Amino acid sequence: MIGTLRGLLALALVALSVSTAAGADKIRVVTTIPDLKALTEEVGGKLVDVDALARGTQNAHELEIRPSLMLKLRRADILIENGLDLDSWADVAVQGANNPNIVRGAPGRIDVSRGVQVLEVPSTRVDRSMGDVHPLGNPHYSLDPGMAPIVTQNIVDALARVAPDRRAELERNRQSFLSRLDEAMTRWTRAMGPLKGAKVVVYHPQWIYLLNRFGLVQAATLEDRPGIPASPAHVTRVIRQMKDEQIKVLIVEPWNDVKLANRVAQEAGAKAVVLASMVGGVKGADSYIGAIDHNVNALVTAMK
Amino acid sequence: MRALALTVIALSTILAPAIAVAQDAAELRRQIEQLQRQLQSVTERLQRLEAQPAPPASQPVPPAPGVPAPAPGAAAAPPPSSTLSAADLAQPRQPFSLYQQRGSGQLLFDIGLAGDFVGNITQRNVERAGGGTFSGQENRFFPREVELSLFGQIDPYASAVVRIEAGEEEPGQETGVTLAEAYLTLLTLPFGTQARIGQMRNRFGYSNEIHEHDLQWIDRPNVMRNFLGAEGLQEKGMELTLVPDLPFYIEALAGIFNGDNETAFGRGTLQHPLATGRLRTFFELGLEHGLQLGMSVASGQTDDRNRSTILGWEWRYKYRPDGWLHPLITLTGEALYSMRKANVGVDLDGDGTIDQVDKRQRNHSGWYTGLEVQPFRRWAGGVRYDWSQYPVNPGWEWAIEPYVTFWPSEFLRFRLAWKHTDRSTQTRDAFNLNGSSARNVDELLFQASFILGAHPAHPF
Repeated sequence: MIGTLRGLLALALVALSVSTAAGADKIRVVTTIPDLKALTEEVGGKLVDVDALARGTQNAHELEIRPSLMLKLRRADILIENGLDLDSWADVAVQGANNPNIVRGAPGRIDVSRGVQVLEVPSTRVDRSMGDVHPLGNPHYSLDPGMAPIVTQNIVDALARVAPDRRAELERNRQSFLSRLDEAMTRWTRAMGPLKGAKVVVYHPQWIYLLNRFGLVQAATLEDRPGIPASPAHVTRVIRQMKDEQIKVLIVEPWNDVKLANRVAQEAGAKAVVLASMVGGVKGADSYIGAIDHNVNALVTAMK
Repeated sequence: MRALALTVIALSTILAPAIAVAQDAAELRRQIEQLQRQLQSVTERLQRLEAQPAPPASQPVPPAPGVPAPAPGAAAAPPPSSTLSAADLAQPRQPFSLYQQRGSGQLLFDIGLAGDFVGNITQRNVERAGGGTFSGQENRFFPREVELSLFGQIDPYASAVVRIEAGEEEPGQETGVTLAEAYLTLLTLPFGTQARIGQMRNRFGYSNEIHEHDLQWIDRPNVMRNFLGAEGLQEKGMELTLVPDLPFYIEALAGIFNGDNETAFGRGTLQHPLATGRLRTFFELGLEHGLQLGMSVASGQTDDRNRSTILGWEWRYKYRPDGWLHPLITLTGEALYSMRKANVGVDLDGDGTIDQVDKRQRNHSGWYTGLEVQPFRRWAGGVRYDWSQYPVNPGWEWAIEPYVTFWPSEFLRFRLAWKHTDRSTQTRDAFNLNGSSARNVDELLFQASFILGAHPAHPF
């Protein structure tokens, strides 16, 4: 009996040491959304071991707080969050993780929205009659590749706090990534150039950063108000508006009601386009540049 | 004549500057008075503006398409600091104005308000016997719980939650206001531990921790109400949790409390405290399935100084297809096993009087399980089955409760249920008041709940 217990104890210790040693030299980073995971991997390279709480196919506004998320956070050195109230659910996961490195106010907790020029910040009194509004402004800035320099700078600063002697390497990684992003940006700008000024309808109002970047205009949202499902009357209005204004594209998120979007687009003589609302949201959008590539190509193809 | 002319000239020469000076002085006085009036007007406007809450941050100009993003160096710049001084913060303000200014960092905690109204329609005999789900409130619609929640960080090391609750407990009586919860959590303890100190809903099993308005059903499961009282286990003391650094999730909890719960314990002293414990683990079965299992224990003394121990087991399974905004299937259940000694009066000689009081062991149990299916974002339907004995009294009851839930939005919910309860014949005395009986109970239950302001995300 004692021998069996010793055996089990030894096995547990081995499992523990293996799990601890696996990423012992790396900075263990957890991000709330996959976009930030992708950017952290670009910046951190081999120095980091990154995991994300949300998956690309999920709605980042309301995540189910599973204990498995707490397990990811239990050993994190750094938690990178999007901020602007998109991922405030992370607080509940952090509370269940018992990890002092990442509680609010700890050096390992970083909000990468710092320095971002936030759009759609309410300039009047807001309340929930307007739907599930974000009082701090639209939080989906990561969809704009032009924000990547700011976000990656924040990530470098966060990682350098944990590993100050590796800042130079982090900066090199960041510059290398930004060079590739610049090349891609030239390509995207050229491809989207002819579409400048074109109107689109979006299902959920989360695309404004991407649309602004490339000069597209958001004419309407299929949701009645943010987070409020469309009423039949609203759907009818949107279809009429799409017909009247000859809007060719309805952008829909992978987690939203794609069937309804298709039906509305069909009735309006337009196309519903599923864009990657986050990295991993659709097939092939497995990296940050890959996700923007997908979104740009899908828009260009749909608007031809 | 010449002398007169000279005198006039001399006087004019002397007085002219004086007159000019006097005219200048009058002009200056007029200008000063005008400036004073303007200053007073500006001061008054300033005072009026200061008395108003500051407007939210203004809309920034969106970056023009093609315009490059701000330089990377800009990211390192600190966020704009609040212009409010400590004296400004000390000024009395409207709480909801403060809430709106959260983005400027002026409100240092969150405020939320939840309203929960329930009603029921049942048989007259059940009403007279007081044997309905909401005992004493049969055939009534009433505010069960209106809860004001304040929560946030105290400092870098701790957070706090305060919940103040009002609800109608007896028909016709004034709505009472009570402190539902008030606790702090120490977040930065070593070795994967956290401590919660204060008055709290105990983390005993799955449903006990959850407030009425957040429950998956209109009412608390029968077994929880029978063994822990209508309000559940809500104690003053402290809980320590440990999440060890293991490849799988496990949370261990230990707590020490007064033991004020009159249904299960009631000794109410730290000399003979209520000790609690819980182990909780979770299995993620692929991306779409999650299973949480747990076991709890609570052991204390009753107010007649008898030992009372309750063991609990919990399970919760969810199937959430990838990309769905809500689970399709949720299966929840708990089982309790109560072991306690009870003082029982014994009539030795059969004369109808109690001759001695014996301590008798009472081991009783109960359980429930509920299935909920949510095929649409705004609609869910489910059913819960309850079976429960009573902690001390003989007999048992079972109940079945199908229900349907409708959410017009995330913050508003309506629920309708029908509940049938069947009690064994041994329990007739316990629900046989005012010459009536509540052995068979049929109830139509309805609920309207809303949330104002902040509400934290719910755990699994």
